[in-house]
Amino acid sequence: MQYTQETVKTLSQCFLQTLATDSEPRKQAENFLKQAADQAGYGMVIMQIVCEPSVEEEVRQAAAVNFKNHIKFRWATPDSDVSSSVISIQDPEKEQIKGAIVKVMLSTPPKIQSQISEALAIMSQHDFPRKWQTLLPELVSSLSSATDYTTINGILQTANSIFKLFRYKFKSNELYIDLKYCLDGFCVPLLEIFQKTGLIVAANTAAPAILKPALICQRLCCRIFYSLNFQELPEFFEEHIADWMGEFHKYLTYTNPLLAENDPEKTSVVDDLKAAVCENINLYMEKNEEEFQAYLSQFATDVWGLLMTVSLNPGQDRLATTAIKFLTTVSKSVHHKLFADLATLTQICESIVIPNVRIREEDEELFEMNHVEYIRRDMEGSDLDTRRRMACELVKGLSSHYREQVTGMFNGYIQSMLQQYAANPAQNWKAKDCAIYLVVSLAPKQASSGAAGTDLVNFEQFFSSQIVPELREKDVNSNSLLKADALKFLTTFRTQVPKHLTLELMPQLIGFLVAESNVVHSYAALAIEKLLAIKDGKQTRYTSACLTPYLQPLFANLFGALKLPESQENAYVMRCIMRVLSIADIGPFAVQCLGELTKILAEVCKNPSNPSFNHYLFEAVAALLRNACEKDPGQVATFENLLFPVFQTVLENDVTEFAPYVFQIMAQLLETRRPPIPPTYLHIFPALLTPLLWQRQANVPGLVRLLQAYLQKAPQEINQGNQLTQVLGVFGKLVGSKNSDHQGFFILNTVVENLSFEALSPYMPEIWNVLFTRLQFRSTVKFTKSLIIFASLFGVKHGPQRVIETINSVQPELFTTILDKIWIPNLTFISGDIETKLCSVFATMLVAPLFQSSKEMLVGKLMNSVMTLLVKPEEERVEEDKDVPDMDEVAGYVAVYAQLHNAAKKEDDPLKDIKDPKEFVAKTLAGVSQQYRNLSAILQQGLEPANMTALGQFCGAYGVTLG
Amino acid sequence: GKGAGQRRRQAALTVGKDRRESVVRAKRLRRADPAEQWDGDAMHIVTDGADDEAAYKDLEDKTVAAVLNLKDLAKENTAKRIEALQILRRLLSCSAYPPVHVAVQAGVVPLLVDCLGLDATEDQLLEAAWCLTNIASGDPEQTRAVKPALPLLIIRLGENTPAQVVEQCAWAIGNVAGEAEDLRDCLFQLGALSALARNLSSPIITLARTAAWALSNLIKGPNPRAVLELMEMDGIIDILGRLVSNGDDELVVEVAWVLVYVTSMSDVHCSQIIHAGLLAPLVARLTHCRRHHPLMIPILRCIGNIVASDNSKCDDVLLAGQSLPGGIIGALARILETGQRTLQKEAAWVVSNLAAGSISHKVAVFKGGVVPPLLHLLATSAFDVRKEAAYALGNLCVAPREQGAEGKPILEHLTVLVDRGCLMGFIALVKSPDLEAAKLGLQFLELVMRALPNGKGPKLVEKEDGIAAMEELQFHDNEELRIMSNILVDQYFGEDYGFEEELESGDMRTEDDSEYPPWRRGGLAG
Repeated sequence: MQYTQETVKTLSQCFLQTLATDSEPRKQAENFLKQAADQAGYGMVIMQIVCEPSVEEEVRQAAAVNFKNHIKFRWATPDSDVSSSVISIQDPEKEQIKGAIVKVMLSTPPKIQSQISEALAIMSQHDFPRKWQTLLPELVSSLSSATDYTTINGILQTANSIFKLFRYKFKSNELYIDLKYCLDGFCVPLLEIFQKTGLIVAANTAAPAILKPALICQRLCCRIFYSLNFQELPEFFEEHIADWMGEFHKYLTYTNPLLAENDPEKTSVVDDLKAAVCENINLYMEKNEEEFQAYLSQFATDVWGLLMTVSLNPGQDRLATTAIKFLTTVSKSVHHKLFADLATLTQICESIVIPNVRIREEDEELFEMNHVEYIRRDMEGSDLDTRRRMACELVKGLSSHYREQVTGMFNGYIQSMLQQYAANPAQNWKAKDCAIYLVVSLAPKQASSGAAGTDLVNFEQFFSSQIVPELREKDVNSNSLLKADALKFLTTFRTQVPKHLTLELMPQLIGFLVAESNVVHSYAALAIEKLLAIKDGKQTRYTSACLTPYLQPLFANLFGALKLPESQENAYVMRCIMRVLSIADIGPFAVQCLGELTKILAEVCKNPSNPSFNHYLFEAVAALLRNACEKDPGQVATFENLLFPVFQTVLENDVTEFAPYVFQIMAQLLETRRPPIPPTYLHIFPALLTPLLWQRQANVPGLVRLLQAYLQKAPQEINQGNQLTQVLGVFGKLVGSKNSDHQGFFILNTVVENLSFEALSPYMPEIWNVLFTRLQFRSTVKFTKSLIIFASLFGVKHGPQRVIETINSVQPELFTTILDKIWIPNLTFISGDIETKLCSVFATMLVAPLFQSSKEMLVGKLMNSVMTLLVKPEEERVEEDKDVPDMDEVAGYVAVYAQLHNAAKKEDDPLKDIKDPKEFVAKTLAGVSQQYRNLSAILQQGLEPANMTALGQFCGAYGVTLG
Repeated sequence: GKGAGQRRRQAALTVGKDRRESVVRAKRLRRADPAEQWDGDAMHIVTDGADDEAAYKDLEDKTVAAVLNLKDLAKENTAKRIEALQILRRLLSCSAYPPVHVAVQAGVVPLLVDCLGLDATEDQLLEAAWCLTNIASGDPEQTRAVKPALPLLIIRLGENTPAQVVEQCAWAIGNVAGEAEDLRDCLFQLGALSALARNLSSPIITLARTAAWALSNLIKGPNPRAVLELMEMDGIIDILGRLVSNGDDELVVEVAWVLVYVTSMSDVHCSQIIHAGLLAPLVARLTHCRRHHPLMIPILRCIGNIVASDNSKCDDVLLAGQSLPGGIIGALARILETGQRTLQKEAAWVVSNLAAGSISHKVAVFKGGVVPPLLHLLATSAFDVRKEAAYALGNLCVAPREQGAEGKPILEHLTVLVDRGCLMGFIALVKSPDLEAAKLGLQFLELVMRALPNGKGPKLVEKEDGIAAMEELQFHDNEELRIMSNILVDQYFGEDYGFEEELESGDMRTEDDSEYPPWRRGGLAG
C-alpha cells in the first residue's frame, strides 16, 4: 500500500465511519480496514495519516487507535510451523516503522501520543533491545536536545515503559545483557536530566506552570530508577548514590502550596513524586541496606515527618501507603532498633497506625454504594494497597521484633475503643468498628483449617461481649457496618466458635440473609457457607441433621436474598445455596429448589454476565442432582423435564459460556440413568457430533464426558445407529492434537470398554492407523503413555492375541517393533495407581504369547520394565512432561472450561478382579515357567539385579516359584 | 520445591559493583617508592589530598612541562632522557590522583612508547613502564590511551628483561586488562596471557604476585577462550599448585583469583585442579579466616564453583577439608559465625552448593554445624545473606532429583528446620521484592505443605501468616510467581467443595489434571 492522496482519502473516510453510531456502516468500515490491514505497507500509511495535520483531529485519533491495535496483533512473528490467519507485518516495514515512530510520538498531541507510545511499548516488548538497536540511542539523543517538558516527558514515559520488564523477569544471562545495555546507555542521561530538572524546580518555586511538568519529569525519572535498580544495585547507581539520595531527600521534604490539589480525590504532582521516591528508598532498604545505611536515619525522619502531615484524603492514599511501607521495611530489617524506644513505638502506633485504620467516609460510602468493591477489599484480600492494610502490615512488621510491647499496646487501644463505644454507642460506633477490624486483621490470614487465633484479646470474652450481641440484635438492618464486622469476625474465627453456639446463632444468621444491606446479606451467606465447610478430620462439623431444623427458613431466605436489589446475581448467596444443597438432607425441598434454580437459569441465559455467580449456579444444580438422585434415582426424570428446555435454549441460542456446563450436567443426568435410556437422549445425540461444537476448546472436556456417558449407557444403540464411525471421527480429530489427545483416548477407551470385539473389529485397523501415524510424526511422552494405556485396556478386555493380530494386520510384524521400540522403553513412565496396575498386568499377559511366537528374546526387557514400574516409586521413574503444547490452539481468547466439582465423574477400575498386580505378575510368570523352562534364565539375563531380587521377593510372598 | 536442590554458579555477568575487588584491585597506581631517597621539591608541594587547587594546578603545569621536556630530549642521549623520565614519573606518582590527564593531552604516550624501544636501558624501561602504569590506572579514557604501548610492554615480559622491569610492565598490563573487555581481547591477541603466566614461577615474590594479579585481570570476563589457553600451557597446573602450597597469603590471594575464573568456566578445569591436588592446600587456608580476610573470598568462590558441578567433586572437597577441625563444613560454619557479611554470604553460597549434592552430602552438611548459624542468619541478617542462607537450608530439605521429577522431601531435616522456626524467614522472602527470593520462599512453603505429615504443613503456614504472603503474589507481573502462588493458595486453602477424598481416590484425578502446570504434575493421570 502506498501513501497517496487517494488512500488517505479512502482510509480517512473509513476511520470516520468507524465512529458512526449506525452499526451497518460501522461494520462495513471495520471490515474494509481489516482487509486493508493485510496489505504490506498499511502500518506506515496509517502512521502517516496520524501525523498528517490536514486530516481532522478525530480521524487522526481513530487512526492512532487503529495503528496501536495493528501493532498489537500483527507485530509478533508467529512460529513458522503454525499456520495463522493473521498476516503479520513484514520485516522491511517493521524497520520503517521503528525508524519513524519515536519522532511521530514526540510530535503528536497528547491523546494521539499516548496511543503511539503504547504501540511503541508493544513493539519494544518484542524487539527491544536486540532487534531495535537504534531505539535507545534515539531516545537519548532526543532527550539531550529536547528543551520543552512535553517532549522530555514523552521520552521518559517511553523509556519508563520499555524498562519495566526489569521489574518482573527472573535473572538470566540474557536479561543481564539487556540490562547492562540499558544501563550503559541510560544511566548518565537519566541522572543528568534529573539533576538539571532539580535546578529548575529549585529556581521556580512560584511558577506552577513550570513546576508541574518538571515534577512529572522527576517522577518519571524515579520510576525509571526503580526499574533499573530492581534486579540489583548497578555500579553506576552505587557510585552516584549520594547524588540520587540527596535529590530524593529534597523531594520528600518539598512543600509548595501552589501545587496542592483542591479536589481531595486528586493526587498532586508533588505527592505522586514523593510516592515514587518512597518506592525507591523502600527498594534500597529491602535489597541494598548496606549501601543505603548512611542515608537511612535521614529518610526515616523524612518519611516520619511526612506521615505526620499527610491527610486522610483519598488523593494522598498512595503516598501514605508507600510511606508506611517504607517504615514497615525498616521495622523488619536489621535496623529495627530505630524504633526500639517505647515512646517511638507508641508514637508510630498512635499517630500513624490508628488514624489510618479508622474507617473513613469513603469506606462508608463504598459500603453503601458499591458493595462488590467493599467486599473485595474488606474480605477478599484486594486491599493490598489500602491504608488499612498497610497500617496493619506495619504493626505486623513492628511485632516481628517487639511482639510483646506491640501486643500490649494494641490490647490497650482496643479496650479503650470499646469503652468509647460503650459510653455512647450511637455516636462512637466507629471505635468498635476499628476494634473489630484490628482483631481480625492482625490475626494471621485464615483459611478453612482455622489454625490461627488471635493473641490480641481474649477470644471467648471478645466474642461473647462484642460479637454475639451484634448478631443477636433483632433489627437486622440497624447499624449495618457493625453487623458486617461481626459476621466477618465470625467467619474468620469460625473454627473456634463452639458448635452449639454456632447452631444457636443459626436463626440469626439466616435472618441476616435478607438484610437490606448487600454487604450484610453477602457476609451472612459467606458465614453460613464457610461454617458448613468446616471439617473436623474428614467429617464436616455440621451434618445434614444439624441443618434439618433450619432448612425451611434457610431456603426461603437464600432464594429471598436473590430477589433483593443488586443481589439478583450475588455469588456469595449462590455459593451458599450450593453448599447447603450438597450437605443437607433436602428431601421435600428438592423440587422447590430445582424450580427456583431453573427459573434463575432461564433468566441468566438471556445475558450471562457474572461468571462466578453462574458457575455456582451450575454447581448448585449439580449438587442438587447428585444429592437428590443418589437417594432416589427415580427423580432424574423430574430433573430432565425441568432442565432440558433450558438446556435446549442454551444450545439453540448458542450461549457459549454455558455450553460446557450443560454438557457436564447432561452427562451427570445420563450417568444416573439405568439403560435403556429415554429416546430424548438419542434424539439429541447426532447434534452433539456436529464439528462446530467441538471446535470450541472449552466444550471439549464436557462433550467428551457426555459422549463417554452415551457410550456407557447406550453402546448398542449407537452401534446400530451406525454412529460409531462419527464417534471415532471425533476421536481421530482430538487425538491429532497434542493438547487434546488425552481427551481422544478417553473416548476410545470407553468405546473399547463398552463394545464387543465383533462390533469393534471392523474399525480396529483404522484406529491403529490413526494412532501410529500420530506416533510416527508427532509423538510426545504424554501420547506414548496414553497409547500404552489404551493398548493395555484393549488387551485385558479382549485378550493379548487380539492386540497382536489387529496391530499386525496394519503391517506384518509391526507388533514386535512397537513393543520393542515404544512400549517397553516407555512403560516405566506410566503414572497413577490404576494405570500402573493395568499396564503391568497386561504386559505380563504378553509373556506367554511371546514364547508361543518365538519372540522370547523380548521377555527379559519387557519384564524388567514391568518390575521397574511396580517397584520404583512414581517420582523416581516418571519424567516431567516437557511436551510443548500446540500454540495455535491455546493462543488467543478461548472460553475456559470450568469443571463442576459437584458433577465429578467417578472413575472405574477396569481390573476390579485383580487387587494386587505384584501377585498377578508372580503367579503368571510361575505359570508360564511351567511350560517354558527357560523363562527363569531369560529373566536372570534380562532383569536388573534389583528387579530380579524384587521378583524373587514377590514370588516368595505369594508362595510360587519360577520353574 | 523443584527449584530447591539446584546448584548455582555465580552469575557470569554482573551489573553491580564487583564486590570481590576493591577499586584498587582492578587497577592499581604505583606510588612513589618509599625506599627511594629523593629530595626534589615537587614531592613536598603536593600532598596526598591534592585539595589545594593552586598546588594541583602547579603540579599539572609541571607535568606538562616535563612532557614537553621529554619531547625535546627525544633525540638526545639516554642519561638526560632518563632524568626527564624520572621527573615525569615522580610527578605521576606523587598523588592519589596524579595528573595523568594533562600528560596524555600533552602527548606523552608516543614518547613513552619511544622510550620502550629495543635499545633502551633498564632504567629507561623501568621509568617508562612506571609512567605507563600510572597513566593506565586513571579514568577509562586514559587507560585506553596506553594501547599503543601494549606490544612493547608485552615483549618486555620475556626472560631477557630484568625482573623489576618485567614486574612494572606486568603491572601496566594488569591495569589495562582491568579496564574493559575489548582491551582484554586486544591483550589476549598480542599474547599477553602466556607471557604473564610464565612469570608466575619467578623466584622474585613481588613479580610472581604482580603477574598473578595481572593474569587474573586478563582472564576475568568470563573468558572461556583465555582460560582454556592458560590451562593448556605446559606445566601450568604444577606451577599453580606450588604457589598455592608454598606462597605467602598475599600471593595466594592473587592465585586464588586466577583459580576463581578458571573454576567458573568448566567442569574439566575443576577436575584438572582437583587431580593436581590443589584443593587441600587451598582449603587449608580457610583456617586463616580471622587473619586474612581478602584471601577468604577467592577461596570460597573456588570451592563454591567446584562443588557447583557434580557430586564426586563435593566428595573431593569434603576429603580435602579433612585436616580442618570439623572438616570443611566446620570451617564454613565458623565463617558463617564471623559477623562479616560478605564472607557470610559467600560461605552460605558454598554451603548451598554442597547441600545440593547427594543425600550423604546433605546429611554431612546438616550434621556439620552449619544449621544453627544459617537459621540465625535467615532470621536476622541483611537481605542478600538471608537469601543465600535460605538456598542452603532449602537444599538441605530436598532429596536429589532424578530425571526431572520433583524433589522428594527429606523429612528429618525439614522437620528439624521447621521446628526451629525457619518458616518465618521463608515467608519473609515470599514478601520480598526480589523475584528469586520470592520464588525460593514459595518453593519452600510448597515443600512444607506437601511434605509434613497429617496436614500439619498448611496449618503451620497459616499460623505464620503465610497465606497473606502468598496472596500478595497473586497479581504479580511475573507469570511464574503469579501462577505458583495461585495454585498453592487454591490447592491448600482454596474452595473446599467437600468431595476431595472421593476425587483423589486411586490417584485417578479427573480431567482438570490437564490444566495443572507441569511443575505440579507428576505425569499423566487419567
